[in-house]
Amino acid sequence: MLRTPVCRLFSAALAALLLAPVAAHADPWITPTPEELSMTSQPEVPGAAAVYLNRDEVTDDKLHAFIIYARIKVLTEKGKEFANVELPYVKESDGSGISVTSIEGRTIHADGTIIPFTGKPYDKLIEKGKDHKYMAKVFSLPDVQVGSIVEYRYQRQLDDHWFQAPSWYIQSDLFTRKAHYIWRPTNEQLIDSRHGGLTSAIAWAPVLPKGTEVKMTKTPDTGLQQGQRTLELTATNVPPMPEEDHMAPVHSLSYRVLFYYTAYTTTQEYWKSEGKDWSKMHDKFIGPGKHVKEFTQQLVAPGDTSEQKLRKMYAAVEELENTDYTRQRSATEEKREGLRRIESADDVLTDKRGSSDQLNDLFVAMARAAGFKAYVAAIADRGKRVFNINFLSLGQLDDDIAIVNVDGKEQYFDPGTRYMPYGHLSWHHGGSSGLRQVDGGTERADPPSESYAFSHVQRLADLTLDEAGVAKGSVTLVFTGEPAVTWRHQLLAGDETSLKEKLKESMEEMLPEGAEVTVTSIANATAYEQPLTISYRISTPVGSAAGKRVLVPSDIFLVKERPSFTQEKRETMIYFEYPEYTQDACRFHYPAAWAMESAPAELRSLYQKSMLYHIHSTPATGFVTVQRDMLMGDFLYPTEEYPQIRTYFSQFETKDQEPIIFKVGGSTAAGGN
Amino acid sequence: MSLRRVVSSPVVASLVFAAVVSFVTLPQSRAADATLPDWVVAAAAAKLPNYPSETNAVVLAEDITYTVDSHGQATERHRKAIKILRPQGRDDAIVHVNYDKDTKLKELHVWSISPDGHSFEVKKDEFLDVSFGEGILYDDEKYRVVQPAGSDPGGIIAYEYVQQMRPYVTETTWEFQDDLPHRDESFTLVLPQGYSYTDSWAHYARMQGADLEKQSYRWQLTNVPATDLEHVSAAPHAVALNGRLTLHYTGPGLQWGDTSTWQGVGQWYQQLLQERIQPTPEIQAKAQELTAGKTDFADKTAAIANFMLREVRYFDVEIGVGGYQPHYAGEIFHNRYGDCKDKATLLSSMLSAVGIHSTLVLVDSRRGAIDPSAPSTYGNHAIAAIEIPQGYQSPRLQSVVQAENGKRYLIFDPTWENISFGQLEDNLQGSYGVLVEGAASQVIQLPTLAPKWSTVRRTGVFELGADGTMNGDVVVKRFGGASEEWRYFYSRADEREQTDSLHRGLAGDFPAFQTSDLKVQNVKALDQDLVTTYHIRVDHFGRTMGSLLMLRPRVLGHIGLPIDTRPRTIPIDMGHAYELTDDFTIKLPPGYTADDLPDPVKLDVDFASYSSNTQINGNTLHYTRTYTVRELTLPADKYPEYKHLAGVIGADEVSNAVLKKQ
Repeated sequence: MLRTPVCRLFSAALAALLLAPVAAHADPWITPTPEELSMTSQPEVPGAAAVYLNRDEVTDDKLHAFIIYARIKVLTEKGKEFANVELPYVKESDGSGISVTSIEGRTIHADGTIIPFTGKPYDKLIEKGKDHKYMAKVFSLPDVQVGSIVEYRYQRQLDDHWFQAPSWYIQSDLFTRKAHYIWRPTNEQLIDSRHGGLTSAIAWAPVLPKGTEVKMTKTPDTGLQQGQRTLELTATNVPPMPEEDHMAPVHSLSYRVLFYYTAYTTTQEYWKSEGKDWSKMHDKFIGPGKHVKEFTQQLVAPGDTSEQKLRKMYAAVEELENTDYTRQRSATEEKREGLRRIESADDVLTDKRGSSDQLNDLFVAMARAAGFKAYVAAIADRGKRVFNINFLSLGQLDDDIAIVNVDGKEQYFDPGTRYMPYGHLSWHHGGSSGLRQVDGGTERADPPSESYAFSHVQRLADLTLDEAGVAKGSVTLVFTGEPAVTWRHQLLAGDETSLKEKLKESMEEMLPEGAEVTVTSIANATAYEQPLTISYRISTPVGSAAGKRVLVPSDIFLVKERPSFTQEKRETMIYFEYPEYTQDACRFHYPAAWAMESAPAELRSLYQKSMLYHIHSTPATGFVTVQRDMLMGDFLYPTEEYPQIRTYFSQFETKDQEPIIFKVGGSTAAGGN
Repeated sequence: MSLRRVVSSPVVASLVFAAVVSFVTLPQSRAADATLPDWVVAAAAAKLPNYPSETNAVVLAEDITYTVDSHGQATERHRKAIKILRPQGRDDAIVHVNYDKDTKLKELHVWSISPDGHSFEVKKDEFLDVSFGEGILYDDEKYRVVQPAGSDPGGIIAYEYVQQMRPYVTETTWEFQDDLPHRDESFTLVLPQGYSYTDSWAHYARMQGADLEKQSYRWQLTNVPATDLEHVSAAPHAVALNGRLTLHYTGPGLQWGDTSTWQGVGQWYQQLLQERIQPTPEIQAKAQELTAGKTDFADKTAAIANFMLREVRYFDVEIGVGGYQPHYAGEIFHNRYGDCKDKATLLSSMLSAVGIHSTLVLVDSRRGAIDPSAPSTYGNHAIAAIEIPQGYQSPRLQSVVQAENGKRYLIFDPTWENISFGQLEDNLQGSYGVLVEGAASQVIQLPTLAPKWSTVRRTGVFELGADGTMNGDVVVKRFGGASEEWRYFYSRADEREQTDSLHRGLAGDFPAFQTSDLKVQNVKALDQDLVTTYHIRVDHFGRTMGSLLMLRPRVLGHIGLPIDTRPRTIPIDMGHAYELTDDFTIKLPPGYTADDLPDPVKLDVDFASYSSNTQINGNTLHYTRTYTVRELTLPADKYPEYKHLAGVIGADEVSNAVLKKQ
């Protein structure tokens, strides 16, 4: 939010007083058309609960007000919920903030009967703390039926002298027939409330459907007074946001226009200037200070190679408590322990704990202390959003990682992700983008994603079948990379008992109902450079009878696996969290009275050199082994490839369900291959 | 649901943890530890027994003193100390106290001791006040919350608050059992001269309170075990198991009635209800309009009941006593919205306008929460009881109870719009409630409907190709309780959501399939089957091996009774009584005959039965099965039979037929 310089206070306040009554009542209700009254569905969204007939928003800086008008057609029972309206607002500790005023509403039945909202909105406390108070005006429109149009209008009012650029989120959960937005920005020179700098330019980052654009007009200047700029957008037939399985975080790319007052004239200028401040802030924290220097000097030996030094430093940082995974302490607690507020990498080292970003800075500090060129990069979390360089906000940069020049080549590190092996990046960071330090400034950062080889899962079962079709024996799971990190984080969130319980539940979720599972050992639970190895004893019914035959699932880890893609059509890209390689091997020893009749025939299948599936069976006297490999080489596939990918998955997921068939008391020769 | 009662909310922990982690930074210097009250020091020093490693935290001490003044106004002083045993116990150590305009918090003090022995006291400005927002438009009930310092394993959290109690109730409930073990706890009742009390114990053996003289009484418990349902499948709700004590008091000058009997509870609520239920001219006119030309009792009643279901939406506004007392019927009628007690009140008002007597029943949507041996106002929902004229019979009226005075009532929930008039939703069946009927008020058991009133009937006609591909049409008919959730879903979901839901269900049966022509009929026709039809194509349904062809006769649909491997100690909740039938016909590719067919299955374990049969008739395979659940809740010692049933069903569902080419 921005405010006017003191000298402009009076004029802005006066304008608000003069213009408020006129503007508040300028727009009448829209008279519904016969088609709107009688409509029962919207063809583009069959079965939809409701649609926006109109969404209008006028931002008038002279009034310090946002005037909002919504018209919603209720199409189903669920759509009635849109008659319950909650309009949040904030009261700051100094009494300033945003208020919600001038609420009006009405319900119009399909026969045209109008029922005005005559009640008084409730003032609902959402949350109140020492220096904030989140409130909401809440009300419900009366006598709403399926077929009704509900409409309401209200004003979000900033305090005098404060301005806030609008954010037009055009795409919502509902189909929108017509959206109309207007902003009349002030010509006043403003003070940025965050940085204190002067600013008068405006900029915006649009994500809009084809053919839709923001139009800016300006009335002629008159004498010393500048003409009024008006930005306007009309969008029609805006679809709702899609919801699909395996979907990238595209919500950050929904149709929208985000405006800001800015002192910058270009995108490059913004990132250069803001990046400079950001980099300076980090360098101040990093130092390296005396304590870091001394510690690093003691940690590394003069004869160590660059990698040996960095490994020692990385391990030292990973040893510290990462409070993002445990608990941040209050200032009072730290005071009791004689600790100080963390203001530098030295403080992190002293306290032996810090947040992910603070630990990352400590690693950079140690690297610099050891003579490396080391930098910080701030990255958009790939699980949350897609970095948009045209959106001028550092707020989209979620986490920090480190970049170190090792013998002339830059390497990425992720010491802020607890239990991430040396030299690797969390999937949240690899393959995303952000901002990084370079010598003398900042640049865009594009850290690479990890290959499939990093995230490897081995699942091994050695089981003996009895004549009732129950399999008993040992199972071993070996995790490296992301799956190992995920399980190790479970340990941080709980303890060994809870980790064992979750591992047990995870195995039970894979096996048939009635499985008895015991976790017998967990190796390398915290030794993050080593594979995490889990051993189980299991007893599970697997054999299903078919007269004189018994069918046994060939891969017991996939008994409850469900098809990945059931939808025939796809709107968004196909997105997996990270590339991965999974290898299964299931050995079944069977009773002497059984004969193996059939086992899955070999299938080897490639998808565009980025996915590989391979299954084959190896029979032997008294037992059979089924091995299955699945390699996923990429994490993002274009929408156009959906039909091929769906077919590919269907084929191997069908193959996965092929059983081993035994004949009871038979003498059929062993098959398979 | 809207009758308020519950003290803690499971959503609080996650909400609050995020909110309280940022604290103001202070100057550096080692600060002196806070001074702890003696009771906290004593609680922290006590030796603990060994708890299982799954125990998140333990309540070291909990002491409540409930003092009633000479005007009948009560105040509660509540002390509690909790020790965190595991990281997961941090959530249990978040302090939150509910309050509203009638239950003002007069004091709240919070202390803690970190695992390394430092002690803290929370400052006033560190508390947050948060409303119960989700799903409620307006409720003035809020909670004050904080996560104290030192909330780590080994840390101890203690708090004390003083709170004004509601003026319009003459009872208090001590919920002394929950999901944590309690080491020492006590409840002290202090009454003014001339007052007396009675006690009622729910789900726990009665214990005599100690007379401390001067109108003070104390109950003390030690080592009350936790109700741990985390790894228990088919479990009842915890409130159906947790012990609690309700103390009722009465004395000179009390405005509100004694609730120590079920009759008293009903009469107490009647006080809150009676003036709210009066019909206005508009209500009378609408009731007359809806019943015009109807003479049959069920027809008239159904007309008004259906109006309530269709035209008056559920919507919750609660302020103070509004947690118990409905709005005026005229106000509800005008707005066409209200919460459960509002809807039941308006229904009763409209029925009275056409000469039909009805009243409210106070219930709890968590079956088993209301203990018929323990009178109290405990509950979270209100429904209606409509008096049936003497001698009147109609097959439409299934949810009928008979009161002690011989009067029959139709039990009807005007809030739940997905069950037909005359029936009752699953979660209320078999539970108890208070019939609000003046001097004739009493506790009643809500009926358990026969399985035939809750049915699922699936039929499928399929054709299997020689390559294993199967095409066919499926019809699913659901009725009564078995259709409730589906009617709710289909009345709200768009086409895409409906298809996705179908696919999620089928994905458990087929690795690769396609559907088309999904149609849903009779979503709002509650007295008819909810009918879902679709076409399905399944790749590789039949698996060929040389001259053999294998397929699963139970083509689709999974019963899936959840089972545990741990010893069972608590009752088994079967969900609802219902009947499921499957009838699948598969036309086989030419030339195949049966080589191996699954054996017929027939099992009856009293509370449920299951049978299935697979036959070949010419080139057609025919599979039928019937599963019937007759009882809602089973004692724990029935678990072996339950497991056996689950095993038999599971084995039948995956059994295969082997066909041979001639």
